[in-house]
Amino acid sequence: MAIGPRIQFAKRGQDRGLSVLGARLAKRRIEIGLLYSRSGTYTLIAEACRTGALSAIAEINADPDCDVTFIPVERDPGGNIDHYGPLCEEILSQTSARHIIGCVTSWSRKEVIPVLERSGGTLWYTVPYEGFEASDHVVYTHACPNQHLIPLLDWALSRHGRRVYLTGSNYIWGWEMNRLTREIVSGAGGEILGERYLPIGGLEIGRIVDEIEATRPDFVMNSLIGASQYQFIAALRDLGLSDERFAPENCPVLSCNLTECELPALGAAGEGLVAAGPYFRGSTSWPGGGSFGSSHEAATAAAVHALARLLAGRPGAEYESLSSLLASPTAGACNIDPKTHHSTLPVLIARVQSGQFRIIEECGLVAGDPYLTRDRSQATAPEGRTLRVVK
Amino acid sequence: MRPGLHIRNLGGAHAAILHRPHAVVQSLARQLTAIGLEVSTHWPDLGADAFNADFIFFDVDMGHDAQFPWPPGEAPMPTVALIGSEAPGRIEWALAMGAHAQLVKPIGDSGVYSALLIAREAFYARRALSDEIKSLRERLDERKTVVRAVTFLAARGMSEAEAYSQIQRMAMNWRVSFEAAARRIVARYAEEDGKDGDERSHGR
Repeated sequence: MAIGPRIQFAKRGQDRGLSVLGARLAKRRIEIGLLYSRSGTYTLIAEACRTGALSAIAEINADPDCDVTFIPVERDPGGNIDHYGPLCEEILSQTSARHIIGCVTSWSRKEVIPVLERSGGTLWYTVPYEGFEASDHVVYTHACPNQHLIPLLDWALSRHGRRVYLTGSNYIWGWEMNRLTREIVSGAGGEILGERYLPIGGLEIGRIVDEIEATRPDFVMNSLIGASQYQFIAALRDLGLSDERFAPENCPVLSCNLTECELPALGAAGEGLVAAGPYFRGSTSWPGGGSFGSSHEAATAAAVHALARLLAGRPGAEYESLSSLLASPTAGACNIDPKTHHSTLPVLIARVQSGQFRIIEECGLVAGDPYLTRDRSQATAPEGRTLRVVK
Repeated sequence: MRPGLHIRNLGGAHAAILHRPHAVVQSLARQLTAIGLEVSTHWPDLGADAFNADFIFFDVDMGHDAQFPWPPGEAPMPTVALIGSEAPGRIEWALAMGAHAQLVKPIGDSGVYSALLIAREAFYARRALSDEIKSLRERLDERKTVVRAVTFLAARGMSEAEAYSQIQRMAMNWRVSFEAAARRIVARYAEEDGKDGDERSHGR
């Protein structure tokens, strides 16, 4: 649950028509869409995002200094990829909502972008993804590879070695994460020992585990999602218990999208997992502060707060295009790059210990660089980069 | 193994857009800027500055040869055609200009990144091919020289195979191509034979 105001609205009551007798600021009722699958293989992530959205909406609605009340309009694609486009269309055509918070997989995001383009809507996308996109109709509030994969590989290559096994779910996230990993590991003189994919929801992890046992990598880069990931992590835990060579301290499993919201599904098998993310429970570097259940929750709450900030005090702004909103005077404080629509985020690396993520490395605040074209020193020098430590 | 796309050096690259002021230019510039490129816009022609660009995006609808500071098909960088009217004559012109990739107008929310990568790969592939063709042509032109060199060496008692390996060895020692070595042999022996001929005529 989010605590504390992350947006301080200037107390300009009289400017906004607040009566001298202390009446509450007249609130504008603005519908916003929520497009999350409440069933299906990645539902834990969707629920964490939804919690972040609803708690931030409650905060905005309770804030007497913000003239915005958000009315959530929810649609549930039920984990079915073919429902995302039509349900996005439905929100944009049957309600007054122009902004939708939602989507977990990149596949579903790619399905809704053409709809957003046609209707002039905006998607606030709040989970880590593989980069190489900067849609004029999407705001990206979670991390892209220069904020998760690259620092995570920096860490792993210098501590564990350069012999790497790659696995992932069979869609764009897994493919592109592994392509990038291959490029970075090869560039560092390392070796890719194997690369295997499972269909989303697939549980046939036997072959992957056998190959890991046979090739004995220094670490495993895991871009599986949902049930496949849970099954894989449990199997690797068993392997580590039977042969110390595969225990987490000798052959860690790395992830760029694993957060607290999925730890309950992993149980004891989660011990020793290493993940990169912008927020872990207890970390203090999240822009604007606050306390959340996971980075999925934090990034979704940040999206709602940024939207409120862009709309507050400007009646009619809810119908402006995203590019026009991001050009408005309040946009500067929203932590969103108007060129790429990506966010500046803390980069943290954490390991699961006693059922919780413990931060083992802080790499400072890093601006999202979706095409890996901006910060060459970071993008091209996986080794020897100076890490900045922030409080 | 084929090397991966070298995507990272797109950062800070310069894209020149040759198009009349239009919404197309804005959408294109937005995408290019988001990707990390510097953008300049030009109309009605490119000017000599264009030689410094890393990519050229050019309008096909109103385009003509004189807008470019180089002859048709000889752009020294990757080019992307911006096609509105898909009339065959216009496409023919875009092809004559040597377009390496195309975008169909109106330019929407995406497409520029793949056009950049495809244009660059096509540009380098085409350049590598024409370099190879040029070097093969040169070698073809030297066929006669090689035959003459072998003949000269054979006249001095070598078998054909020995003559070939002799030329090969010389090429290696001199660090020149096989054809260049053959040329030197021909030059040397043609001169010697010429002198011999003179002396013989004296003796008569």
